[in-house]
Amino acid sequence: MLAYVVRRLSYGALVVLGVLFFLFVLFFAVSTPDDIARRAIGDKAMPEVIEQWKINHGYDKPKWPGPGQWSDNLLVEHYRRMLTFDFGRSDADGTPILDRIAKGAGPSLALTLPMFAIGLVIGLTLSLFVAFFRETYIDKAGVFLAVLGMSVSVLLYIIAGQFLLGKVLKWFPVSGFDPAPGVLWRFLALPVAVGVIASLGSDVRFYRTVFVEEIHKDYVRTARAKGCGEGRIMSRHVLGNAMIPVLTNVVMVIPFLFTGALLTEAFFGIPGLGSLTVDAINANDFSTLRSMVYISALLFVVAQILTDISYTLVDPRVRLE
Amino acid sequence: MRVVLAVSLVLGVACTNNPYPEKDDGKKVLYAQYHEPPKTLDPAVAYSTNDHVVTGKVYDTLLEYHYLKRPYELIPALAEAVPEPQERADGSTAYRFVLREDLWFQEDPCFSLSGGETRRILAQDFAFELMRIADPAVNSPVIDPFSNVRGFRDFASRLKERRAADPAFGRLPVHEQYREAGGISGVEVLGEREFEVVLETSYPQILYWFAMPFTTPVPWEAIAYYDGQGGRPAFADHPVASGPFMLTRYDKQARFVLERNPNWYGLRRPEWKAPGAVFPEVTGLAPEEAEKFAAYVGKPLPFLERVEYRREKEPIPAFTKFLQGYYDSAGVVRESFNKVIQENDLSEEMRAMGMDLERSVVPAVFYIGFNMDDPVVGRAGGERSRKLRQAMSLAVDVEEYKRLFMNGRGLPAQSPIPPGIFGHDEEYQNPYRRVDLQRAQKLLAEAGYPGGVDERTKRPLRLTFDVPDTSPESRLRFSFWVRQWRRLGIDVELAATTYNKFQEKVRDGAYQIFQWGWVADYPDPENFLFLLTTEMARSVSGGPNTANFQDKDFDRLFAEMKVLPSGPERQRLVEQMRSILERERPWIELFHPEDYALTHAWLRNVVPAGLSIPTTKYFDVDPELRARLRSEWNEPVLWPIFLLFGLAAAVIAPGIVTFYKERQ
Repeated sequence: MLAYVVRRLSYGALVVLGVLFFLFVLFFAVSTPDDIARRAIGDKAMPEVIEQWKINHGYDKPKWPGPGQWSDNLLVEHYRRMLTFDFGRSDADGTPILDRIAKGAGPSLALTLPMFAIGLVIGLTLSLFVAFFRETYIDKAGVFLAVLGMSVSVLLYIIAGQFLLGKVLKWFPVSGFDPAPGVLWRFLALPVAVGVIASLGSDVRFYRTVFVEEIHKDYVRTARAKGCGEGRIMSRHVLGNAMIPVLTNVVMVIPFLFTGALLTEAFFGIPGLGSLTVDAINANDFSTLRSMVYISALLFVVAQILTDISYTLVDPRVRLE
Repeated sequence: MRVVLAVSLVLGVACTNNPYPEKDDGKKVLYAQYHEPPKTLDPAVAYSTNDHVVTGKVYDTLLEYHYLKRPYELIPALAEAVPEPQERADGSTAYRFVLREDLWFQEDPCFSLSGGETRRILAQDFAFELMRIADPAVNSPVIDPFSNVRGFRDFASRLKERRAADPAFGRLPVHEQYREAGGISGVEVLGEREFEVVLETSYPQILYWFAMPFTTPVPWEAIAYYDGQGGRPAFADHPVASGPFMLTRYDKQARFVLERNPNWYGLRRPEWKAPGAVFPEVTGLAPEEAEKFAAYVGKPLPFLERVEYRREKEPIPAFTKFLQGYYDSAGVVRESFNKVIQENDLSEEMRAMGMDLERSVVPAVFYIGFNMDDPVVGRAGGERSRKLRQAMSLAVDVEEYKRLFMNGRGLPAQSPIPPGIFGHDEEYQNPYRRVDLQRAQKLLAEAGYPGGVDERTKRPLRLTFDVPDTSPESRLRFSFWVRQWRRLGIDVELAATTYNKFQEKVRDGAYQIFQWGWVADYPDPENFLFLLTTEMARSVSGGPNTANFQDKDFDRLFAEMKVLPSGPERQRLVEQMRSILERERPWIELFHPEDYALTHAWLRNVVPAGLSIPTTKYFDVDPELRARLRSEWNEPVLWPIFLLFGLAAAVIAPGIVTFYKERQ
């Protein structure tokens, strides 16, 4: 297993290095340092101000390695910064990017963790419920609602949630964020509810399919023949044996918990990492965007490796060679 | 039943859409929103409206604008009086500023560097800030207007050279570097409360720059202390100032809070009744306006205890919270325009909520420009190109554009100078800024393009409109102008590129027609007409004259107009310049935008400023009225919870029963 993990980590490292190169080409091919500077400090800026800005932000070097500049160029600097997590300063406002990421991680996790945990519990419970009542009108209605739910854009859930629960029923603030422990839940209730409901359709449909497939297997019939109760069959045997596809689905979501929910954070005014990414896109803050894309890629690679390892935990038959 | 009651009680207490702590209900707190966070709070750098939301409130200036008088008038603030220019024999002009006595900075840990919690404001602090503007490392965007100060550029060069030559010099604290570099020769500190600014040539507009936070006093301690190292924030995120408010919380991505600064001169010395520290009296107001302000005249400022800003990225939730009473004022979002504004006034629904609508024309101009360096539409084409530009100007229907894309807001522009700025003439009607297709076609024929076809080549005239935006919405907007010219038979192609690409085209001079805008820095015609001078031509100096308009007469008139005080002679020069633009048509003036601001009944004394100038110290709120109306408007509706539970039980229970029956 150790050899497998080392091999996967090596592949992962290569993927990350490739992503970094792709990022460099993408960002620096689209914009020259002059463009980035003008975007940041405006058209009215004098040429010397632009030059100084480029020096302050490290954009005054040549793009590619060349004679006499094998180590002092933007490409090498880009790799050095990313691999050491020294993301530098935001192109838009000069604040240290790592500080902003550290600051945004809390609000993002405060939103995405409950959204993920509650969504998972409700999704699994409802899926077991409709799978248990398979081929009844509850099952059919459940599948219909799930397909309907997953066909609707998340934006609509957000707007409808804000309108119904914030504006018409006045249960929660329409938007906002306050990290104070006593009031935080008040601001999170609506976005979490919206996030859970938005993801419920696809989760229920997927998990139900997995559970129904398991229900038809021999071990379920055997358990039933041995007098095992339906509730126990569903919660212990079916759920336990369906864990591999469930885990695949769950672990792959974990990177996105850290990187935040782009639209939800933007609409509810939550200053998390999703919001940071949207801001960076809107402000052409390329240095922040590069860092966020890099972190996402890194987390994604790690999540993939963790998924493979987790299979051995839930299914003893799986061997990582 | 008991369960239902218990659930109702819990939900009744827990469910509320109030985003603020209830303990603040009775306080004079202003609740406002912002869309984009400030980029920087460094007064030498902060230039955008987003930045000024904070810098305008915390940084006090030597001069400021009278709150109620229009046209705008400068009044003394930190200075005892508005200085008069003193012409000198060598052609220079000097302005001597005398500070009020007993001016203090806000309390801040940075003053531990000079052994205290705060200190007196000195003339040296203004000189220090002017040196910061000159310092190339600061990246101030306003180097150009101050370049006229004697020795300003020399100081910047000396600083740059010393830093390059001696790394140890570059590591010294900034104030020591400035001292060693010798300061700006044209900024003479004459005492603790007195300093003089010497300009190489006459530039009366310099006084407006002393009403902007760029020239606020900055303590050297703040720059030395807030260096972004060792857990200390950077100065760009931590202002140390002397204005009526001070920043007490700054989480710029989400929220910031400003509170009264007890060290502000207006609060320390209310007996002075300084013009910028009491609510002004003004004659000549409409009776209902005068009545609104009567109770406030002469009262010391500021009226508010605190200003709370919350970030709202999306307009709809922000506007919903405004309608719920959680923001005290708001703009009118496009999505709700018809609900809010009906027949060019507030709708009945909004009136019933006690709202007020404040309309103001922004001192800005939006225009379509021709690149005068271009051989087809520019000066090289002579009379032929001039007539083409005149014809195109006559085809542009701004009223229709406003109706389609701006909810009818905005004032059609007749010249570059917007209302409220000296030189604007209400009566003036530009003969080329009305829709007259017949005349346009005649001019087009005279230009050698009858029906849009080039007489010489027998080919249709094809022009390019360069657009810095590739979004579908922008395409729709710009296509409107293209359709206007198509009515004359002119084929204009939209070349939509990214902003960067567009900038590149502009730098290379590879553009024909473009659309641009300009918002005033200060209320003077010079700030608009300089956009068309040769000195500012993009192809000459990289300046903001993107049309590359170059006209010797215009330049001469501009130079004369620039230094004259506003009066009949200056008006005459402005009119002459206007007539050159009218004939030459380097721009097709489109509109001066109009702001609509909604305010709740509890918010008092809001007067649209137009310019980005601080006004919050004049605002007042009635917290009792606000709390009462908020409570009326936001009673939670709880019955759907029980309905939901009932419905769920009604749907699921029969299914379960049926399932077990079938199973048995």
